[in-house]
Amino acid sequence: MIFRKKDVMQEYYEFFNSVKIVSGYRALENIPFELSRLGARKPIIITDKGITNAGLIKHVVGSFAGTDAKIGAIYDDTPQDSSSHVVNEIARIYRRNGCDSIIAVGGGSAIDTAKGVNIVITEDTDDLLRFMGNYRLNKPMKPFIVIPTTAGTGSEVTMAAVIADPDRKLKMQFTSDLLLPRLAVLDPRMTMSMPPKITAATAMDALTHAVEAYIGPQKNPVSDCFAIAAIELIQANLVNAIKNPDDRDTRLAMANAALLAGLAFSNSMVGIVHACAHAIGGICHVPHGIANSIMLPHGLEFYIEKSPRVKARTKAHIEKLLLSLRGPEEYVKTPAERRAQASVAAIREISREMGALADMPASLRQAAVPEDRLEEIARAALNDGAIAFSPVEVGYDEALRVLKAAW
Amino acid sequence: MQMKGVYPEIVPGRKIFKTLVTRLFFFTVGMGMQTAYRIDPDVRREIDSLPETFSFLMAVVGGPSMLMLKRDGAFRYLGEKEGFHADVELWFKNIEYAYLVMTGRISVPNAVYHFRQFVRGSLTDAMAIIRVMNITQTLLLPNFISRFYIKEVPPLTLRKLKNRAITYFNVGYGAIRQPFQSSEGGMP
Repeated sequence: MIFRKKDVMQEYYEFFNSVKIVSGYRALENIPFELSRLGARKPIIITDKGITNAGLIKHVVGSFAGTDAKIGAIYDDTPQDSSSHVVNEIARIYRRNGCDSIIAVGGGSAIDTAKGVNIVITEDTDDLLRFMGNYRLNKPMKPFIVIPTTAGTGSEVTMAAVIADPDRKLKMQFTSDLLLPRLAVLDPRMTMSMPPKITAATAMDALTHAVEAYIGPQKNPVSDCFAIAAIELIQANLVNAIKNPDDRDTRLAMANAALLAGLAFSNSMVGIVHACAHAIGGICHVPHGIANSIMLPHGLEFYIEKSPRVKARTKAHIEKLLLSLRGPEEYVKTPAERRAQASVAAIREISREMGALADMPASLRQAAVPEDRLEEIARAALNDGAIAFSPVEVGYDEALRVLKAAW
Repeated sequence: MQMKGVYPEIVPGRKIFKTLVTRLFFFTVGMGMQTAYRIDPDVRREIDSLPETFSFLMAVVGGPSMLMLKRDGAFRYLGEKEGFHADVELWFKNIEYAYLVMTGRISVPNAVYHFRQFVRGSLTDAMAIIRVMNITQTLLLPNFISRFYIKEVPPLTLRKLKNRAITYFNVGYGAIRQPFQSSEGGMP
Protein backbone atom coordinates (compact mmCIF):
# COMPACT_ATOMS: atom_id res chain seq x y z
CA MET A 1 0.00 0.00 0.00
CA ILE A 2 1.10 3.55 -0.71
CA PHE A 3 0.85 4.79 2.85
CA ARG A 4 2.26 1.68 4.40
CA LYS A 5 5.27 2.41 6.63
CA LYS A 6 6.12 -0.92 8.21
CA ASP A 7 7.40 -3.99 6.46
CA VAL A 8 6.57 -6.57 9.10
CA MET A 9 4.95 -9.11 6.77
CA GLN A 10 2.70 -9.35 3.74
CA GLU A 11 -0.30 -7.06 4.15
CA TYR A 12 -2.52 -9.81 2.71
CA TYR A 13 -2.05 -13.33 1.42
CA GLU A 14 -3.94 -16.48 0.60
CA PHE A 15 -2.65 -20.03 0.84
CA PHE A 16 -4.50 -23.09 -0.31
CA ASN A 17 -3.62 -26.73 -0.63
CA SER A 18 -6.00 -29.55 0.10
CA VAL A 19 -3.81 -32.54 -0.78
CA LYS A 20 -3.44 -35.20 1.88
CA ILE A 21 0.16 -36.38 2.07
CA VAL A 22 1.14 -39.95 2.88
CA SER A 23 4.91 -40.28 3.07
CA GLY A 24 7.19 -43.09 4.16
CA TYR A 25 8.36 -46.61 3.59
CA ARG A 26 5.50 -48.85 2.38
CA ALA A 27 3.28 -45.80 2.07
CA LEU A 28 1.78 -47.34 -1.09
CA GLU A 29 0.07 -49.99 1.06
CA ASN A 30 -2.23 -47.26 2.35
CA ILE A 31 -3.80 -46.57 -1.04
CA PRO A 32 -6.75 -49.02 -0.90
CA PHE A 33 -7.77 -47.65 2.51
CA GLU A 34 -7.51 -44.06 1.31
CA LEU A 35 -9.50 -44.95 -1.82
CA SER A 36 -12.27 -46.44 0.31
CA ARG A 37 -12.40 -43.19 2.31
CA LEU A 38 -12.92 -41.36 -0.98
CA GLY A 39 -15.77 -43.74 -1.87
CA ALA A 40 -13.83 -45.43 -4.68
CA ARG A 41 -12.68 -49.00 -5.25
CA LYS A 42 -11.83 -49.35 -8.94
CA PRO A 43 -9.12 -46.91 -10.08
CA ILE A 44 -7.47 -46.65 -13.46
CA ILE A 45 -3.68 -46.43 -13.22
CA ILE A 46 -2.03 -44.00 -15.65
CA THR A 47 1.68 -44.42 -16.11
CA ASP A 48 4.33 -44.87 -18.81
CA LYS A 49 6.43 -47.69 -20.23
CA GLY A 50 9.54 -46.58 -18.32
CA ILE A 51 7.74 -47.10 -15.01
CA THR A 52 6.35 -50.49 -16.05
CA ASN A 53 9.70 -51.67 -17.40
CA ALA A 54 11.47 -50.57 -14.23
CA GLY A 55 9.09 -52.83 -12.31
CA LEU A 56 7.70 -49.97 -10.24
CA ILE A 57 4.07 -50.60 -11.10
CA LYS A 58 4.20 -53.98 -9.36
CA HIS A 59 4.63 -52.17 -6.03
CA VAL A 60 1.38 -50.28 -6.70
CA VAL A 61 -0.51 -53.38 -7.87
CA GLY A 62 0.85 -55.32 -4.89
CA SER A 63 -0.60 -52.76 -2.49
CA PHE A 64 -4.12 -53.82 -3.62
CA ALA A 65 -3.56 -57.48 -2.71
CA GLY A 66 -5.78 -58.70 0.09
CA THR A 67 -8.29 -55.86 -0.24
CA ASP A 68 -11.69 -55.68 -1.93
CA ALA A 69 -10.54 -52.90 -4.26
CA LYS A 70 -9.77 -53.70 -7.91
CA ILE A 71 -7.62 -52.05 -10.52
CA GLY A 72 -9.89 -51.05 -13.42
CA ALA A 73 -7.05 -50.83 -15.96
CA ILE A 74 -3.37 -49.93 -16.27
CA TYR A 75 -2.57 -47.54 -19.10
CA ASP A 76 1.19 -47.39 -19.64
CA ASP A 77 1.45 -45.80 -23.09
CA THR A 78 1.62 -42.22 -21.84
CA PRO A 79 4.10 -40.36 -24.06
CA GLN A 80 6.82 -38.01 -22.80
CA ASP A 81 4.66 -34.97 -23.66
CA SER A 82 1.05 -35.54 -22.66
CA SER A 83 -1.43 -34.98 -25.49
CA SER A 84 -5.19 -34.59 -25.85
CA HIS A 85 -5.35 -37.75 -28.02
CA VAL A 86 -3.92 -39.86 -25.20
CA VAL A 87 -6.20 -38.16 -22.66
CA ASN A 88 -9.30 -39.02 -24.73
CA GLU A 89 -8.10 -42.59 -25.28
CA ILE A 90 -7.61 -43.12 -21.53
CA ALA A 91 -11.01 -41.57 -20.81
CA ARG A 92 -12.61 -44.13 -23.15
CA ILE A 93 -10.90 -46.99 -21.26
CA TYR A 94 -12.00 -45.44 -17.95
CA ARG A 95 -15.66 -45.37 -19.05
CA ARG A 96 -15.59 -48.78 -20.75
CA ASN A 97 -14.10 -50.51 -17.68
CA GLY A 98 -16.37 -48.75 -15.20
CA CYS A 99 -13.54 -47.11 -13.24
CA ASP A 100 -14.38 -44.67 -10.45
CA SER A 101 -11.05 -43.00 -9.67
CA ILE A 102 -7.62 -42.20 -11.11
CA ILE A 103 -4.11 -43.02 -9.93
CA ALA A 104 -1.20 -41.35 -11.69
CA VAL A 105 2.17 -43.05 -11.32
CA GLY A 106 5.11 -41.23 -12.87
CA GLY A 107 6.60 -37.80 -13.51
CA GLY A 108 5.08 -34.62 -14.86
CA SER A 109 3.71 -36.17 -18.07
CA ALA A 110 1.75 -39.02 -16.45
CA ILE A 111 0.42 -36.68 -13.76
CA ASP A 112 -0.62 -33.97 -16.26
CA THR A 113 -2.25 -36.63 -18.48
CA ALA A 114 -4.19 -37.94 -15.48
CA LYS A 115 -5.33 -34.39 -14.65
CA GLY A 116 -6.52 -34.07 -18.26
CA VAL A 117 -8.40 -37.38 -18.01
CA ASN A 118 -10.07 -36.14 -14.84
CA ILE A 119 -11.28 -33.02 -16.68
CA VAL A 120 -12.61 -35.06 -19.63
CA ILE A 121 -14.42 -37.55 -17.34
CA THR A 122 -15.81 -34.97 -14.93
CA GLU A 123 -16.95 -32.50 -17.57
CA ASP A 124 -18.13 -35.34 -19.86
CA THR A 125 -16.41 -33.90 -22.91
CA ASP A 126 -13.83 -34.87 -25.49
CA ASP A 127 -12.69 -31.34 -26.20
CA LEU A 128 -10.21 -30.17 -23.59
CA LEU A 129 -9.75 -26.83 -25.35
CA ARG A 130 -13.05 -25.60 -23.91
CA PHE A 131 -11.55 -25.75 -20.44
CA MET A 132 -8.11 -24.31 -21.24
CA GLY A 133 -6.79 -21.49 -19.09
CA ASN A 134 -7.32 -20.34 -15.54
CA TYR A 135 -10.37 -21.23 -13.50
CA ARG A 136 -12.48 -22.64 -16.34
CA LEU A 137 -13.49 -25.71 -14.31
CA ASN A 138 -16.46 -25.76 -11.98
CA LYS A 139 -17.36 -29.35 -11.11
CA PRO A 140 -15.74 -31.37 -8.31
CA MET A 141 -13.38 -33.92 -9.83
CA LYS A 142 -13.17 -37.70 -9.50
CA PRO A 143 -10.99 -39.09 -6.69
CA PHE A 144 -7.42 -38.62 -7.88
CA ILE A 145 -4.23 -40.02 -6.33
CA VAL A 146 -0.68 -39.22 -7.40
CA ILE A 147 2.40 -41.35 -6.82
CA PRO A 148 5.42 -39.39 -8.08
CA THR A 149 8.38 -41.35 -9.40
CA THR A 150 10.63 -38.32 -9.77
CA ALA A 151 11.53 -35.82 -7.08
CA GLY A 152 11.21 -32.48 -8.80
CA THR A 153 8.04 -31.30 -10.48
CA GLY A 154 5.92 -31.14 -7.34
CA SER A 155 2.93 -31.88 -9.63
CA GLU A 156 1.46 -34.07 -6.89
CA VAL A 157 0.49 -30.90 -5.01
CA THR A 158 0.01 -28.35 -7.78
CA MET A 159 -3.16 -27.19 -9.49
CA ALA A 160 -1.81 -26.90 -13.03
CA ALA A 161 -1.48 -29.20 -16.02
CA VAL A 162 -0.02 -28.71 -19.49
CA ILE A 163 -1.37 -30.89 -22.31
CA ALA A 164 -0.53 -30.62 -26.00
CA ASP A 165 -3.20 -30.48 -28.69
CA PRO A 166 -1.39 -31.96 -31.72
CA ASP A 167 -4.22 -31.11 -34.15
CA ARG A 168 -4.24 -27.42 -33.30
CA LYS A 169 -0.47 -27.40 -32.57
CA LEU A 170 -1.15 -25.87 -29.17
CA LYS A 171 0.09 -26.36 -25.60
CA MET A 172 -2.99 -26.08 -23.43
CA GLN A 173 -2.49 -24.92 -19.86
CA PHE A 174 -5.10 -25.70 -17.21
CA THR A 175 -5.14 -24.10 -13.79
CA SER A 176 -7.76 -24.72 -11.14
CA ASP A 177 -7.72 -25.74 -7.51
CA LEU A 178 -10.16 -28.48 -8.55
CA LEU A 179 -7.25 -30.18 -10.33
CA LEU A 180 -5.46 -30.81 -7.04
CA PRO A 181 -5.14 -34.52 -6.27
CA ARG A 182 -6.89 -35.80 -3.17
CA LEU A 183 -3.83 -37.75 -2.09
CA ALA A 184 -0.07 -37.68 -2.74
CA VAL A 185 1.82 -40.85 -1.85
CA LEU A 186 5.59 -40.63 -1.39
CA ASP A 187 7.21 -44.05 -1.15
CA PRO A 188 11.01 -44.23 -1.51
CA ARG A 189 10.73 -47.42 -3.56
CA MET A 190 9.21 -45.36 -6.37
CA THR A 191 12.20 -43.01 -6.82
CA MET A 192 15.11 -45.38 -6.15
CA SER A 193 15.57 -46.40 -9.77
CA MET A 194 16.01 -42.82 -11.00
CA PRO A 195 19.36 -42.46 -12.83
CA PRO A 196 21.81 -39.81 -11.55
CA LYS A 197 21.17 -37.29 -14.32
CA ILE A 198 17.40 -37.32 -13.79
CA THR A 199 17.88 -37.23 -10.01
CA ALA A 200 20.07 -34.14 -10.40
CA ALA A 201 17.84 -32.40 -12.96
CA THR A 202 14.62 -32.96 -11.04
CA ALA A 203 16.25 -31.88 -7.77
CA MET A 204 17.46 -28.66 -9.40
CA ASP A 205 13.88 -28.14 -10.62
CA ALA A 206 12.65 -28.50 -7.03
CA LEU A 207 15.39 -26.16 -5.78
CA THR A 208 14.33 -23.57 -8.36
CA HIS A 209 10.68 -23.89 -7.28
CA ALA A 210 11.66 -23.31 -3.65
CA VAL A 211 14.05 -20.43 -4.35
CA GLU A 212 11.67 -18.58 -6.68
CA ALA A 213 8.76 -19.10 -4.29
CA TYR A 214 10.87 -17.71 -1.42
CA ILE A 215 12.00 -14.54 -3.20
CA GLY A 216 8.85 -13.88 -5.27
CA PRO A 217 6.30 -11.14 -4.61
CA GLN A 218 3.60 -13.67 -3.68
CA LYS A 219 5.66 -15.12 -0.83
CA ASN A 220 3.90 -15.44 2.49
CA PRO A 221 4.77 -16.92 5.89
CA VAL A 222 3.21 -20.30 5.02
CA SER A 223 4.88 -20.70 1.62
CA ASP A 224 8.17 -19.54 3.19
CA CYS A 225 8.07 -22.46 5.65
CA PHE A 226 7.67 -24.97 2.82
CA ALA A 227 10.30 -23.29 0.63
CA ILE A 228 12.93 -23.16 3.35
CA ALA A 229 12.26 -26.75 4.42
CA ALA A 230 12.64 -27.84 0.80
CA ILE A 231 15.92 -25.96 0.30
CA GLU A 232 17.39 -27.41 3.48
CA LEU A 233 16.38 -30.97 2.54
CA ILE A 234 17.85 -30.60 -0.95
CA GLN A 235 21.06 -29.08 0.37
CA ALA A 236 21.47 -31.88 2.91
CA ASN A 237 20.55 -34.84 0.69
CA LEU A 238 21.09 -34.14 -3.00
CA VAL A 239 24.70 -35.25 -3.29
CA ASN A 240 24.02 -38.40 -1.29
CA ALA A 241 20.98 -39.22 -3.46
CA ILE A 242 23.30 -39.31 -6.47
CA LYS A 243 26.23 -41.06 -4.80
CA ASN A 244 24.06 -43.60 -2.94
CA PRO A 245 20.93 -44.05 -5.06
CA ASP A 246 19.75 -47.03 -2.99
CA ASP A 247 19.66 -45.07 0.27
CA ARG A 248 15.92 -45.02 0.86
CA ASP A 249 16.01 -42.35 3.58
CA THR A 250 17.76 -39.96 1.23
CA ARG A 251 15.33 -40.78 -1.56
CA LEU A 252 12.39 -40.13 0.76
CA ALA A 253 13.95 -36.84 1.86
CA MET A 254 14.34 -35.73 -1.77
CA ALA A 255 10.75 -36.75 -2.61
CA ASN A 256 9.58 -34.69 0.36
CA ALA A 257 11.75 -31.76 -0.70
CA ALA A 258 10.11 -31.76 -4.14
CA LEU A 259 6.65 -31.95 -2.59
CA LEU A 260 7.41 -29.10 -0.16
CA ALA A 261 8.77 -26.97 -2.99
CA GLY A 262 5.57 -27.76 -4.93
CA LEU A 263 3.45 -26.63 -1.98
CA ALA A 264 5.46 -23.41 -1.82
CA PHE A 265 5.35 -22.49 -5.50
CA SER A 266 1.73 -23.44 -6.04
CA ASN A 267 0.90 -20.54 -3.71
CA SER A 268 3.84 -18.22 -4.36
CA MET A 269 4.46 -18.28 -8.07
CA VAL A 270 7.79 -18.64 -9.81
CA GLY A 271 9.36 -15.85 -11.90
CA ILE A 272 11.92 -15.09 -14.61
CA VAL A 273 13.88 -18.35 -14.18
CA HIS A 274 10.84 -20.48 -14.92
CA ALA A 275 9.60 -18.18 -17.67
CA CYS A 276 12.95 -18.63 -19.46
CA ALA A 277 13.08 -22.38 -18.69
CA HIS A 278 9.58 -22.91 -20.12
CA ALA A 279 10.58 -21.03 -23.27
CA ILE A 280 13.88 -22.94 -23.59
CA GLY A 281 12.04 -26.23 -23.17
CA GLY A 282 9.33 -25.28 -25.64
CA ILE A 283 11.71 -24.09 -28.37
CA CYS A 284 14.86 -26.20 -27.90
CA HIS A 285 13.43 -29.19 -25.98
CA VAL A 286 15.90 -28.85 -23.11
CA PRO A 287 14.56 -30.81 -20.09
CA HIS A 288 12.87 -28.47 -17.65
CA GLY A 289 15.13 -29.30 -14.68
CA ILE A 290 18.29 -28.71 -16.70
CA ALA A 291 17.00 -25.40 -18.07
CA ASN A 292 16.08 -24.29 -14.54
CA SER A 293 19.46 -25.35 -13.20
CA ILE A 294 21.24 -23.24 -15.84
CA MET A 295 18.96 -20.21 -15.51
CA LEU A 296 18.62 -20.03 -11.70
CA PRO A 297 21.88 -18.20 -10.83
CA HIS A 298 21.45 -15.83 -13.78
CA GLY A 299 17.86 -15.02 -12.79
CA LEU A 300 18.97 -14.24 -9.23
CA GLU A 301 21.81 -12.04 -10.49
CA PHE A 302 19.30 -10.14 -12.63
CA TYR A 303 17.16 -9.46 -9.56
CA ILE A 304 20.19 -8.38 -7.52
CA GLU A 305 21.31 -6.05 -10.29
CA LYS A 306 17.84 -4.45 -10.50
CA SER A 307 17.32 -4.34 -6.74
CA PRO A 308 19.04 -1.10 -5.79
CA ARG A 309 16.74 0.82 -8.10
CA VAL A 310 13.53 -1.17 -7.98
CA LYS A 311 13.08 -3.74 -5.26
CA ALA A 312 15.54 -3.76 -2.40
CA ARG A 313 13.24 -6.28 -0.74
CA THR A 314 13.97 -8.98 -3.34
CA LYS A 315 17.68 -8.66 -2.70
CA ALA A 316 17.03 -9.00 1.03
CA HIS A 317 15.16 -12.27 0.38
CA ILE A 318 18.08 -13.57 -1.72
CA GLU A 319 20.42 -12.65 1.14
CA LYS A 320 18.32 -14.68 3.57
CA LEU A 321 18.60 -17.72 1.29
CA LEU A 322 22.22 -17.98 2.39
CA LEU A 323 21.05 -19.13 5.80
CA SER A 324 19.40 -22.23 4.32
CA LEU A 325 22.03 -22.82 1.65
CA ARG A 326 25.17 -22.49 3.82
CA GLY A 327 23.96 -22.64 7.42
CA PRO A 328 23.99 -20.05 10.21
CA GLU A 329 27.78 -19.94 10.74
CA GLU A 330 28.54 -19.09 7.14
CA TYR A 331 25.66 -16.60 7.13
CA VAL A 332 27.03 -14.73 10.12
CA LYS A 333 30.59 -14.77 8.77
CA THR A 334 29.53 -13.26 5.43
CA PRO A 335 29.28 -9.45 5.44
CA ALA A 336 25.69 -8.29 4.88
CA GLU A 337 26.53 -6.57 1.59
CA ARG A 338 27.97 -9.80 0.14
CA ARG A 339 25.25 -12.23 1.25
CA ALA A 340 23.15 -12.00 -1.91
CA GLN A 341 26.15 -12.79 -4.11
CA ALA A 342 27.15 -15.55 -1.68
CA SER A 343 23.69 -17.13 -2.09
CA VAL A 344 24.13 -17.15 -5.86
CA ALA A 345 27.62 -18.62 -5.44
CA ALA A 346 26.20 -21.39 -3.22
CA ILE A 347 23.64 -22.28 -5.90
CA ARG A 348 26.37 -22.22 -8.57
CA GLU A 349 28.38 -24.62 -6.43
CA ILE A 350 25.44 -27.05 -6.27
CA SER A 351 25.06 -26.81 -10.07
CA ARG A 352 28.81 -27.40 -10.55
CA GLU A 353 28.67 -30.43 -8.28
CA MET A 354 25.73 -31.78 -10.28
CA GLY A 355 27.79 -31.22 -13.43
CA ALA A 356 30.64 -33.29 -12.02
CA LEU A 357 28.48 -36.06 -10.52
CA ALA A 358 25.67 -36.32 -13.04
CA ASP A 359 26.98 -34.69 -16.21
CA MET A 360 24.58 -31.75 -16.00
CA PRO A 361 25.27 -28.96 -18.51
CA ALA A 362 26.34 -25.66 -16.93
CA SER A 363 25.34 -23.32 -19.75
CA LEU A 364 22.77 -23.06 -22.52
CA ARG A 365 25.56 -23.67 -25.03
CA GLN A 366 26.42 -26.96 -23.33
CA ALA A 367 22.71 -27.83 -23.38
CA ALA A 368 22.83 -27.49 -27.20
CA VAL A 369 20.73 -24.33 -27.38
CA PRO A 370 21.71 -22.51 -30.60
CA GLU A 371 22.72 -18.89 -29.98
CA ASP A 372 20.57 -17.67 -32.86
CA ARG A 373 17.42 -18.90 -31.10
CA LEU A 374 17.94 -16.81 -27.96
CA GLU A 375 15.85 -13.94 -29.36
CA GLU A 376 12.94 -16.28 -30.05
CA ILE A 377 13.29 -17.70 -26.54
CA ALA A 378 13.29 -14.19 -25.01
CA ARG A 379 10.05 -13.33 -26.85
CA ALA A 380 8.42 -16.59 -25.70
CA ALA A 381 9.55 -15.98 -22.10
CA LEU A 382 7.74 -12.62 -22.07
CA ASN A 383 4.48 -14.40 -22.93
CA ASP A 384 4.88 -16.95 -20.16
CA GLY A 385 2.52 -16.53 -17.21
CA ALA A 386 5.42 -16.78 -14.74
CA ILE A 387 6.93 -13.48 -15.92
CA ALA A 388 3.99 -11.59 -14.37
CA PHE A 389 5.22 -12.81 -11.00
CA SER A 390 8.74 -11.53 -11.41
CA PRO A 391 9.28 -8.95 -8.66
CA VAL A 392 10.75 -6.57 -11.25
CA GLU A 393 9.55 -5.63 -14.70
CA VAL A 394 11.22 -7.71 -17.42
CA GLY A 395 11.45 -6.33 -20.94
CA TYR A 396 12.61 -8.06 -24.11
CA ASP A 397 16.14 -6.62 -23.92
CA GLU A 398 16.50 -7.69 -20.30
CA ALA A 399 15.22 -11.22 -20.93
CA LEU A 400 17.64 -11.51 -23.84
CA ARG A 401 20.52 -10.22 -21.70
CA VAL A 402 19.82 -12.85 -19.01
CA LEU A 403 19.65 -15.59 -21.66
CA LYS A 404 22.90 -14.43 -23.27
CA ALA A 405 24.61 -14.48 -19.88
CA ALA A 406 23.39 -18.08 -19.42
CA TRP A 407 24.60 -19.05 -22.90
CA MET B 1 -34.63 -3.52 18.41
CA GLN B 2 -34.93 -7.16 17.37
CA MET B 3 -37.91 -9.02 18.88
CA LYS B 4 -37.07 -12.13 20.85
CA GLY B 5 -37.41 -15.26 18.72
CA VAL B 6 -37.66 -13.33 15.45
CA TYR B 7 -34.75 -13.65 13.05
CA PRO B 8 -35.39 -11.40 10.03
CA GLU B 9 -33.39 -11.62 6.84
CA ILE B 10 -30.58 -9.08 6.72
CA VAL B 11 -30.22 -7.12 3.51
CA PRO B 12 -26.69 -5.70 3.35
CA GLY B 13 -26.24 -2.04 2.41
CA ARG B 14 -24.97 -0.93 -1.00
CA LYS B 15 -21.54 0.57 -1.50
CA ILE B 16 -22.69 3.27 -3.89
CA PHE B 17 -19.66 5.55 -3.73
CA LYS B 18 -17.09 2.76 -4.11
CA THR B 19 -19.09 1.25 -6.97
CA LEU B 20 -19.23 4.65 -8.67
CA VAL B 21 -15.47 5.16 -8.32
CA THR B 22 -14.84 1.69 -9.73
CA ARG B 23 -17.23 2.28 -12.61
CA LEU B 24 -15.47 5.58 -13.38
CA PHE B 25 -12.08 3.81 -13.31
CA PHE B 26 -13.31 1.08 -15.65
CA PHE B 27 -14.67 3.68 -18.04
CA THR B 28 -11.38 5.62 -18.01
CA VAL B 29 -9.25 2.50 -18.50
CA GLY B 30 -11.59 1.21 -21.23
CA MET B 31 -11.52 4.47 -23.19
CA GLY B 32 -7.78 4.69 -22.52
CA MET B 33 -7.17 1.21 -23.97
CA GLN B 34 -9.31 2.03 -26.99
CA THR B 35 -7.25 5.20 -27.61
CA ALA B 36 -3.94 3.49 -26.83
CA TYR B 37 -4.61 0.94 -29.58
CA ARG B 38 -4.89 3.79 -32.07
CA ILE B 39 -1.88 5.85 -31.03
CA ASP B 40 0.67 3.55 -29.38
CA PRO B 41 2.58 1.13 -31.65
CA ASP B 42 3.41 -1.23 -28.75
CA VAL B 43 -0.25 -1.56 -27.79
CA ARG B 44 -1.22 -2.07 -31.43
CA ARG B 45 1.38 -4.83 -31.81
CA GLU B 46 0.15 -6.60 -28.68
CA ILE B 47 -3.53 -6.43 -29.64
CA ASP B 48 -2.83 -7.37 -33.26
CA SER B 49 -1.14 -10.55 -32.02
CA LEU B 50 -4.45 -11.63 -30.43
CA PRO B 51 -7.13 -13.43 -32.43
CA GLU B 52 -9.85 -11.49 -34.29
CA THR B 53 -12.97 -10.98 -32.09
CA PHE B 54 -10.77 -11.30 -29.01
CA SER B 55 -12.62 -10.02 -25.96
CA PHE B 56 -11.35 -8.83 -22.60
CA LEU B 57 -13.49 -8.33 -19.51
CA MET B 58 -12.42 -6.61 -16.31
CA ALA B 59 -15.02 -6.92 -13.59
CA VAL B 60 -15.82 -7.05 -9.91
CA VAL B 61 -17.61 -10.18 -8.69
CA GLY B 62 -21.23 -9.02 -8.31
CA GLY B 63 -20.30 -5.49 -9.34
CA PRO B 64 -19.39 -3.24 -12.28
CA SER B 65 -17.47 -4.43 -15.31
CA MET B 66 -15.93 -3.26 -18.56
CA LEU B 67 -15.69 -5.14 -21.83
CA MET B 68 -13.21 -4.61 -24.66
CA LEU B 69 -13.65 -6.23 -28.06
CA LYS B 70 -11.22 -6.49 -30.95
CA ARG B 71 -13.13 -6.20 -34.23
CA ASP B 72 -12.75 -4.61 -37.66
CA GLY B 73 -9.30 -3.16 -37.00
CA ALA B 74 -10.23 -1.55 -33.69
CA PHE B 75 -10.08 -2.41 -30.01
CA ARG B 76 -13.37 -1.07 -28.74
CA TYR B 77 -14.61 -0.27 -25.27
CA LEU B 78 -18.16 -1.61 -25.03
CA GLY B 79 -19.03 -0.60 -21.48
CA GLU B 80 -20.80 -3.08 -19.23
CA LYS B 81 -22.20 -6.25 -20.78
CA GLU B 82 -23.92 -8.52 -18.33
CA GLY B 83 -23.07 -12.22 -18.40
CA PHE B 84 -20.54 -11.95 -21.24
CA HIS B 85 -17.94 -14.73 -21.29
CA ALA B 86 -14.77 -13.12 -22.59
CA ASP B 87 -11.56 -14.78 -23.82
CA VAL B 88 -9.63 -13.23 -20.94
CA GLU B 89 -11.37 -12.10 -17.78
CA LEU B 90 -9.69 -10.18 -14.96
CA TRP B 91 -11.87 -10.36 -11.85
CA PHE B 92 -11.65 -8.44 -8.60
CA LYS B 93 -12.97 -10.66 -5.83
CA ASN B 94 -15.02 -7.83 -4.28
CA ILE B 95 -15.69 -4.11 -4.56
CA GLU B 96 -13.41 -3.28 -1.62
CA TYR B 97 -10.37 -4.75 -3.39
CA ALA B 98 -11.30 -2.97 -6.61
CA TYR B 99 -11.68 0.31 -4.71
CA LEU B 100 -8.28 -0.10 -3.06
CA VAL B 101 -6.71 -0.50 -6.49
CA MET B 102 -8.72 2.32 -8.09
CA THR B 103 -7.65 4.73 -5.38
CA GLY B 104 -4.00 3.74 -5.73
CA ARG B 105 -3.69 2.20 -2.29
CA ILE B 106 -2.73 -1.15 -3.81
CA SER B 107 -0.79 -1.44 -7.03
CA VAL B 108 -2.27 -3.60 -9.80
CA PRO B 109 0.63 -6.10 -9.63
CA ASN B 110 0.17 -6.36 -5.85
CA ALA B 111 -3.55 -7.04 -6.28
CA VAL B 112 -2.61 -10.02 -8.46
CA TYR B 113 0.19 -11.18 -6.15
CA HIS B 114 -2.13 -11.11 -3.16
CA PHE B 115 -4.92 -12.99 -4.96
CA ARG B 116 -7.25 -10.00 -4.70
CA GLN B 117 -7.66 -10.36 -8.46
CA PHE B 118 -7.74 -13.48 -10.56
CA VAL B 119 -7.44 -14.21 -14.24
CA ARG B 120 -9.84 -16.49 -16.05
CA GLY B 121 -8.85 -17.70 -19.52
CA SER B 122 -5.62 -18.03 -21.46
CA LEU B 123 -2.59 -16.87 -19.45
CA THR B 124 -0.61 -16.09 -22.59
CA ASP B 125 -3.31 -13.73 -23.85
CA ALA B 126 -3.63 -12.32 -20.33
CA MET B 127 0.08 -11.43 -20.41
CA ALA B 128 -0.48 -9.36 -23.55
CA ILE B 129 -3.45 -7.61 -21.93
CA ILE B 130 -1.48 -6.85 -18.76
CA ARG B 131 1.25 -5.23 -20.88
CA VAL B 132 -1.41 -3.20 -22.71
CA MET B 133 -2.93 -2.09 -19.40
CA ASN B 134 0.51 -1.06 -18.14
CA ILE B 135 1.09 1.13 -21.20
CA THR B 136 -2.45 2.54 -20.95
CA GLN B 137 -1.89 3.50 -17.33
CA THR B 138 1.29 5.37 -18.24
CA LEU B 139 -0.81 7.30 -20.78
CA LEU B 140 -3.59 8.03 -18.31
CA LEU B 141 -1.60 8.92 -15.22
CA PRO B 142 1.36 11.18 -14.42
CA ASN B 143 4.54 9.22 -13.75
CA PHE B 144 4.56 9.92 -10.01
CA ILE B 145 1.14 8.24 -9.73
CA SER B 146 1.81 5.51 -12.33
CA ARG B 147 4.48 4.03 -10.11
CA PHE B 148 1.76 2.92 -7.69
CA TYR B 149 0.06 0.96 -10.43
CA ILE B 150 2.85 -0.66 -12.39
CA LYS B 151 6.23 -2.19 -11.59
CA GLU B 152 8.44 0.14 -13.61
CA VAL B 153 7.46 3.45 -15.14
CA PRO B 154 9.07 4.28 -18.52
CA PRO B 155 10.78 7.69 -18.82
CA LEU B 156 8.63 10.62 -19.89
CA THR B 157 9.19 11.67 -23.52
CA LEU B 158 7.67 14.33 -25.75
CA ARG B 159 5.85 11.64 -27.68
CA LYS B 160 4.42 10.25 -24.46
CA LEU B 161 3.17 13.71 -23.47
CA LYS B 162 1.50 14.12 -26.87
CA ASN B 163 -0.13 10.68 -26.60
CA ARG B 164 -1.25 11.49 -23.08
CA ALA B 165 -2.98 14.66 -24.31
CA ILE B 166 -4.78 12.66 -27.03
CA THR B 167 -5.83 10.06 -24.46
CA TYR B 168 -7.23 12.71 -22.09
CA PHE B 169 -9.16 14.28 -24.93
CA ASN B 170 -10.62 10.94 -26.03
CA VAL B 171 -11.56 9.91 -22.49
CA GLY B 172 -13.22 13.31 -21.94
CA TYR B 173 -14.99 13.18 -25.29
CA GLY B 174 -16.13 9.62 -24.57
CA ALA B 175 -17.49 10.72 -21.18
CA ILE B 176 -19.64 13.38 -22.85
CA ARG B 177 -20.76 11.14 -25.70
CA GLN B 178 -21.31 7.90 -23.85
CA PRO B 179 -22.89 8.31 -20.41
CA PHE B 180 -22.17 5.51 -17.98
CA GLN B 181 -24.29 2.49 -18.51
CA SER B 182 -25.39 0.96 -15.26
CA SER B 183 -26.33 -2.63 -14.94
CA GLU B 184 -25.99 -5.25 -12.27
CA GLY B 185 -22.73 -7.20 -12.42
CA GLY B 186 -22.78 -10.94 -12.88
CA MET B 187 -21.05 -13.65 -10.96
CA PRO B 188 -18.03 -15.37 -12.50
